[in-house]
Amino acid sequence: MSSVSHRAKYLESAVSICILLVLCLIGLGVFIKQIDSDIGRFGLVTASSALPAETGISQKAETALNELAPSGFKVLSQPEFYDTENLYEKINGKAPLYTEAGFVELSTQRFVSTSDDTLMMELYVFDMGEAKNAFSVYSVQKRAEGKDLLGMQFAYKTSNGVYLAHGRYYAELVGYAESDQLLKAMEQVAGKISENFEVDRDGQIAELAFFDKEGLVEDSFRLYLANAFGFEGLSNIITARYDVDGQRITAFLSRCSNRQHAKTVSESYYQFLIDNGATAKEPVNKILEGKIVDFYGSTEIVSTAGRFLVGIHEADEQTPAEKLAVKLIDKLGQIKGD
Amino acid sequence: MRIITVRRISQVFFFSMFVWFCIVSTIGQSPWQVRGWPVNWFLQLDPLVAIGTILTTHTLYRGLAWALATVVLTIIFGRFFCSWVCPFGSIHHFVGFWGNRKKKTAEKIQLNRYRSAQRIKYFILIFFLVMAAFPSMAATLQTGLLDPIPLVTRSFNLVLLPIVDKPINFVSVAGRFYEGVWLVFIMFLVAVLLNLAIPRFYCRFICPLGALFAVLSRFAIWRIGKKQKECINCKLCERACEGGCEPSGNIKIGECVLCFNCLDECKDELVSYQRRPSLSGETPPDVSRRGFVLSLATGAFALPAVRLANKLGSNWYHKVIRPPGALAEEQFLKRCIKCGQCMRICPTNVIQPAGIEGGLEGLWTPVLNNRIGSSGCQLNCVACGQVCPTAAIRPITLAEKHGLDDFAQAGPIKMGTAFFDRNKCLPWAMDKPCIVCQENCPVSPKAIYTEECFNTVRDGLLTVKNTKGNLIETEEEILTPGKFATGDYYCAVGADLRWKITANTENSIEILPDEKSSKIPPEGSKIEVQVRLQRPFVDIEKCIGCGVCEHECPVSGKKAIRVTAEGETRSADRALLLRG
Amino acid sequence: MTEQNEKEIGRRQFLLRAGKAGISIAAAGAVSYLLYDNTGPRAGTEAGDLVTLPDFSVPQQAGKTMSVIEGPDRVETVNKAIRALGGIQRFVKPGETVAIKPNVAFASPPFLSATANPQLVAEVVRLCLVEGKAKSVIVTDNPINDPASCFTLSGIGKAAGDAGAKVILPKDYLFEPTTLEGGRLIVNWPVFFGPFEKVDKIIGISPIKDHARSGASMTMKNWYGLLGGRRNIFHQNINTIIAELAMMVKPTLVILDGTEVMMTNGPTGGSTSDLKRANTMIAGCDMVAADSYGCGLLDLKVSDLPYLAKAEAAGAGTTDYKSLKPIFDKTG
Repeated sequence: MSSVSHRAKYLESAVSICILLVLCLIGLGVFIKQIDSDIGRFGLVTASSALPAETGISQKAETALNELAPSGFKVLSQPEFYDTENLYEKINGKAPLYTEAGFVELSTQRFVSTSDDTLMMELYVFDMGEAKNAFSVYSVQKRAEGKDLLGMQFAYKTSNGVYLAHGRYYAELVGYAESDQLLKAMEQVAGKISENFEVDRDGQIAELAFFDKEGLVEDSFRLYLANAFGFEGLSNIITARYDVDGQRITAFLSRCSNRQHAKTVSESYYQFLIDNGATAKEPVNKILEGKIVDFYGSTEIVSTAGRFLVGIHEADEQTPAEKLAVKLIDKLGQIKGD
Repeated sequence: MRIITVRRISQVFFFSMFVWFCIVSTIGQSPWQVRGWPVNWFLQLDPLVAIGTILTTHTLYRGLAWALATVVLTIIFGRFFCSWVCPFGSIHHFVGFWGNRKKKTAEKIQLNRYRSAQRIKYFILIFFLVMAAFPSMAATLQTGLLDPIPLVTRSFNLVLLPIVDKPINFVSVAGRFYEGVWLVFIMFLVAVLLNLAIPRFYCRFICPLGALFAVLSRFAIWRIGKKQKECINCKLCERACEGGCEPSGNIKIGECVLCFNCLDECKDELVSYQRRPSLSGETPPDVSRRGFVLSLATGAFALPAVRLANKLGSNWYHKVIRPPGALAEEQFLKRCIKCGQCMRICPTNVIQPAGIEGGLEGLWTPVLNNRIGSSGCQLNCVACGQVCPTAAIRPITLAEKHGLDDFAQAGPIKMGTAFFDRNKCLPWAMDKPCIVCQENCPVSPKAIYTEECFNTVRDGLLTVKNTKGNLIETEEEILTPGKFATGDYYCAVGADLRWKITANTENSIEILPDEKSSKIPPEGSKIEVQVRLQRPFVDIEKCIGCGVCEHECPVSGKKAIRVTAEGETRSADRALLLRG
Repeated sequence: MTEQNEKEIGRRQFLLRAGKAGISIAAAGAVSYLLYDNTGPRAGTEAGDLVTLPDFSVPQQAGKTMSVIEGPDRVETVNKAIRALGGIQRFVKPGETVAIKPNVAFASPPFLSATANPQLVAEVVRLCLVEGKAKSVIVTDNPINDPASCFTLSGIGKAAGDAGAKVILPKDYLFEPTTLEGGRLIVNWPVFFGPFEKVDKIIGISPIKDHARSGASMTMKNWYGLLGGRRNIFHQNINTIIAELAMMVKPTLVILDGTEVMMTNGPTGGSTSDLKRANTMIAGCDMVAADSYGCGLLDLKVSDLPYLAKAEAAGAGTTDYKSLKPIFDKTG
């Protein structure tokens, strides 16, 4: 009897231990299962939550951003990265402005002063793919009250922000307080960007040099990538403001692929103006080759010079407009390598 | 080591694992978030889910193959799942023990006697299986209502966890909400409290999974039984008998849940786990022919009776907006086990358990309620389909959801369409500018577009007293100062002239000058103060019914834009537009 | 001894039980293996459930593809029209089952010509049964209005029944989903399949009507009655759906009744002033050709009906009916 019961107890223990082992194996199996999985299968993957190995570009950019901290400031938060898919999560309604202009990636970071934590700034670096795209979003958003920054080609500051276009990057620094100290620190960041971010030599905006310098209002250039002046056919238009005989006049030009293309665009823009109620006018200045219309009281001039489309937009008076147009066409005609 | 010690360890082990799986079912990479945790494992081990879906779909879907392991082990060893693995069973075991522990031995033995009502769970099983076995489209899977694993999963995920998490916000930042789960709560509470009357009440009388195990364990190699026919009949073996199977005499072997309490209690060691049937007699699970036929017939009539409301045909309920990737309704109801995993994983908390408005079969199936949670259905999320154990919601990729690459021809998946209620929408009915819906529409190009219009405001017709540059003074002194300075208001003369208002007092308006300023009206003429409205429209070809607009609409009670299920791509006969 | 016996019995019972357990396990394993599905369901119905209508057409005979008979009496003109094409025996063989699909779309009396003429239907039934020696003839349609009232008010129910045909009204279980190969609209759509499943030949009978949405309703539009579900959605792309119907249904013979033509306010009409007597009966094997000729009776050109070109492009027939050398004749 006792041997039976002894054997039974032994058997019972043996079975129990075996079952315990099975439980351990199960626990181990579950633990192993959870280590390796593709979190991306649920969706919701933004560039910021992806593992570093998968986004080499962001990794480089992250280091680059950290190094931009101005003196007396430290990095406040992790850098964030956004692509075309989720840009709207950061800047909401303004996203199309960038996504329609060739936007590639946005990196943002915050810096805060080591001595005074109310002095905080946020840096936005938009990689727009090409210099002209960056210049476009820079120029069309340029605040009228901005003051240009010295030492950089396209940069200005306002009471609490610094803005610049550098090669294919458009950067904004937004200060969370109005403070001279903060503004100076932001200018420093802008300077660092200008020095450290590599840009293509080819990425310069060549067309800016084609504008005659006389009477040109400094830093009044704007680049419209598409739908300039409300007309679909006008893309890659650069405008500049001039002072002519006391009048402020807007001139524009665009480099087309060839002469024929320039002629086609100019004719279709002219037709667009006529279709919308403009009336043709005779030029006062007989040298001027081109079309002149009166558009609800303002003068529009459309002309070509070789492969360039050139003209005047919304001028109050005809004579100075024509004068400017002639000068511009003349200058463009001198450019070699048509 | 005693076998009941291991059994207790096993119960604690699996119960803890179950609770852990409930806690970690949040999207994320941290160890306490979902990562690769096999959060569906208990549902996959459940043979009633596997057999149910085999009957309704004639396939065994992927992870449900785990059930084969449970089936094989049950065939060999008996009904071990109930007292070694089942988390619901562990709760009943514990509450039954703790609630009755102070009773006298004789009373406890009486509580654990076999009752003929224990046959009811077989009727319930047959009832569900008949409805699942209906030919082709008429079948429905309702096992999830009483199958313990889905039941305990939804009780924890939709009731207990949100309650416990509310003050600490560990699992969810904002706290989770689930509509109508008072019923889930009551069901859980009643099941648990019934153990105070009779231990393991649910397991003995109701559980269809237990009934299934009883049937499967008929040919078990090893079973509980007595080593000899006669004994002193102290019945101590039945003092803590969990299954109510009466091992002291003729053991009702189908009811035995292998708790081994009898083996442990018998001082003469006459109860063992042996190959021979119990020497004092063994009765296999036996449902009377009458009972079998009755439950068969009830199931056979119940389903068509429920379907008389035509909720699957033209009388379908427009608020049944299913998650993206859900199958067409008839096929969906053949797979959904009402486990609530999709509701648990949904990052925006928009998936809710349905009531019966979409049909009785839809109880506790997932529907979207855009007013609850953080934002409608997120564009870049496909979590619900990834977590569904039976593919009632298909595991779609983002490409399929958005209609890209291989799916470009099919187009994006639409859950429904948003419709404006122009009687409530601010720019349509109240002359108030607002385009929150358009701003938040996540698709590109947006499915909400606006048309500009100018409306004269109430009491907006004024007479000019005199003008000074950009300032127009009015005869009337009725304007609210500053009201029109928001940038949305204009001063209009006739149909052609309009200037933006930058400031106003009660009797003057300041306008923004432009090239037509020379035409500012002279004294005595009439001007109108107009509001510039952008009136929104839905482009039904682009709208995917995600509900973000409905969630954001500032008319917060009955929203001015509401999503309903017309146009959902999962059902050809609910399409709004021809495709192709 | 008894103990020995008991042990043996016990062992035998155990082996029996172990055997049953083993079989159960094997069965469970086999079922799991055979039914295992790793990919899960796809959107939409499984292809296995879809049905396809067979091709009911008879071999072509040059010069006997279309006939146009003028005359005031439908019974006479239809007889002559069918005889010109080779007689009903060319189309219906003895012992076959024939389905006739007339236009019974509306609960409208015969004199308004919104539905097929009951005497015409009865005559065709008679021809099939008596001269063609068909085993049985069924007459069916899936009307827009309530089926019972349509068959009654149009007179077709009684006329067909009296002539010896079986009238089949649409029922839920008679519809099956179908996908048209090469179709963009008829994809996984319920079609009135049941009555046509076991027939050998199909004959369509339709009046010539003006139609507000498609321009005209003639032989091809007649097959709209085979669509189930919420088929009004196809009105958004009416010309494509008619072309797809012509691809889906290949009838044996179509009869286009231009005795009284609904010139305006179609397809329901409602006034005898909408009708014009044209006394023409058209029969043919080419629906596109028949419609192309018939539109002339509505004072329309082929180019006025975009669905004709679409159907021709899809290979359902030719709009150049003259090339088929139709047989023109008169009665009386």
